Amino acid sequence: MASILPNDTDRETAGFFAAAAEGRLVFRACQDCDHALHPPTDHCPHCGGWNTAWRDAKGSGTLYSWTTVTHQIHPAFPAPYTLVVVELDDAPEVRLVGRVDGTPELAAGQPMQVWFEKLEGGPTLPQWKPGAPA
Amino acid sequence: MIDDDLAFAGRDKCAVAGIGQTAFTRDSGRGVLSLATEASLKAIADAGLTVDDIDGIVRCEQDTVRPYSLAASLGMKDLRYWADTGPGGVAPCMMMGVAMGALLSGQAKAVLAFRSLNGRSEARLGGSGRYDGVEVAGGFGSYDEFFLPYGLQTAGQTFALMARRHMLDYGTTPEQLAAVAMTCREHANRTPHAQMAQRPLTLDDYHASRMISSPLRLFDYCLESDGACAVVITTAERAKDLAKPPVLIRAVAGGAPRDHRAGMMFPVVTRGEITEIGGRQAGTELWRRAGMGPQDMDIAQIYDCFTISVILQLEAFGFCGKGEGGPMAASGALKFGGQMPINTGGGHLSEGYVHGMNHIVQAVRQLRGEADMQVPDAETCLCTGGPLPVGSSVVFRKAA
Repeated sequence: MASILPNDTDRETAGFFAAAAEGRLVFRACQDCDHALHPPTDHCPHCGGWNTAWRDAKGSGTLYSWTTVTHQIHPAFPAPYTLVVVELDDAPEVRLVGRVDGTPELAAGQPMQVWFEKLEGGPTLPQWKPGAPA
Repeated sequence: MIDDDLAFAGRDKCAVAGIGQTAFTRDSGRGVLSLATEASLKAIADAGLTVDDIDGIVRCEQDTVRPYSLAASLGMKDLRYWADTGPGGVAPCMMMGVAMGALLSGQAKAVLAFRSLNGRSEARLGGSGRYDGVEVAGGFGSYDEFFLPYGLQTAGQTFALMARRHMLDYGTTPEQLAAVAMTCREHANRTPHAQMAQRPLTLDDYHASRMISSPLRLFDYCLESDGACAVVITTAERAKDLAKPPVLIRAVAGGAPRDHRAGMMFPVVTRGEITEIGGRQAGTELWRRAGMGPQDMDIAQIYDCFTISVILQLEAFGFCGKGEGGPMAASGALKFGGQMPINTGGGHLSEGYVHGMNHIVQAVRQLRGEADMQVPDAETCLCTGGPLPVGSSVVFRKAA
């Protein structure tokens, strides 16, 4: 079975996948100026400091944009599927991508919630689905 | 701070002296070095030069043909300068700047800039090629690990996410996207070498085409193509004695968006406003360096990997306000006979996709007055590079 696994060994991003493996959603943030940093970077471009760390997010967000892919590209992702871009409630400046099977009815700003997809023989991905956490 | 005066030091000091291209096809049946060599020999001959006159080569970093390979194939005796720029479709406009840097600093006398690809038959760009087996994606500072494992894999999907947001924020419509596709198609229909020269496109055809990644349909996508383009750049002083009227490089500028994020293409979706592109910063600096503005452009070659790309750039380069790109495309202003015709050979959407380089060749043809669909009295032309993740741009003008 073809699949695409994330490289979870990059020293600047590995913490994201390590947390996901434990069922936690995290984002990088500057401990000095409080800016969220995504894609995650060790250095804070806002205050110029290096005091950045992973923070826990509560796992809810809102839908910013989406596209339903109907042209098959990769055997691991049978079309149709829908790519969603979600803004975290904890830090709206952090946007994460997720995949929803099929062609769901979606609307901008609707609530989305995280779930964790354990990939066969590999890392865990935080994923997103429509709906507010219970 | 750096002295601003240097920004104007290159104005009109360099020129495109020669242009060349191969046929644009779906399957060239040849290797990319062979294509690059043909386009380069044509560009050198067009300038009235010989291979011995060329001493520099610049290229796109995604080209698989290396400068010294091309030099070997051409039989160049004196390769003194070479450079890569990019990324991808951003490269051609930046190549003009790299060549200027080499020429004005005395590192080269005549520079060949080229792009060669079998973008349909061999290495399909933008992630649309075939994949097999288990792959590990991302890492090493690429940030692709946040996108590829989710199935966000192509440029088309990325631009679809931008198009959706442009529709939500500004009311842009499928008919406005179609207007971009139909404008380019009409221009291709008047350009015999364009891949879509013989195929008209109606609004009904557009609506009937299959959805690829909503809201983008087949005809919102450019043509994956095989082909090569090359141009010879030299100083304006040298160019004025050569075979063809020189086309001056008035100004070149690149730009990164204010909210630029680390990584290549996909992290664009994490920007605060995903419909904002580096073309805005490139454009602001370009107009300052050129001493001109959008209103001074007779024509424009706007990088059209997708229809939405054109709309985003019309706004970014100041041809209209934010959110007004769709109505501007639908107004007819961009067609032959309109206020500022764009993509006058059919562009990437309908002429061929040589990753921005065919736009440079088309700009030069128009300003020489030798284009198939010649815009009367065209004296100035904006050329833009790929809109992600950073922008690039050139103003060309006819020598006085």
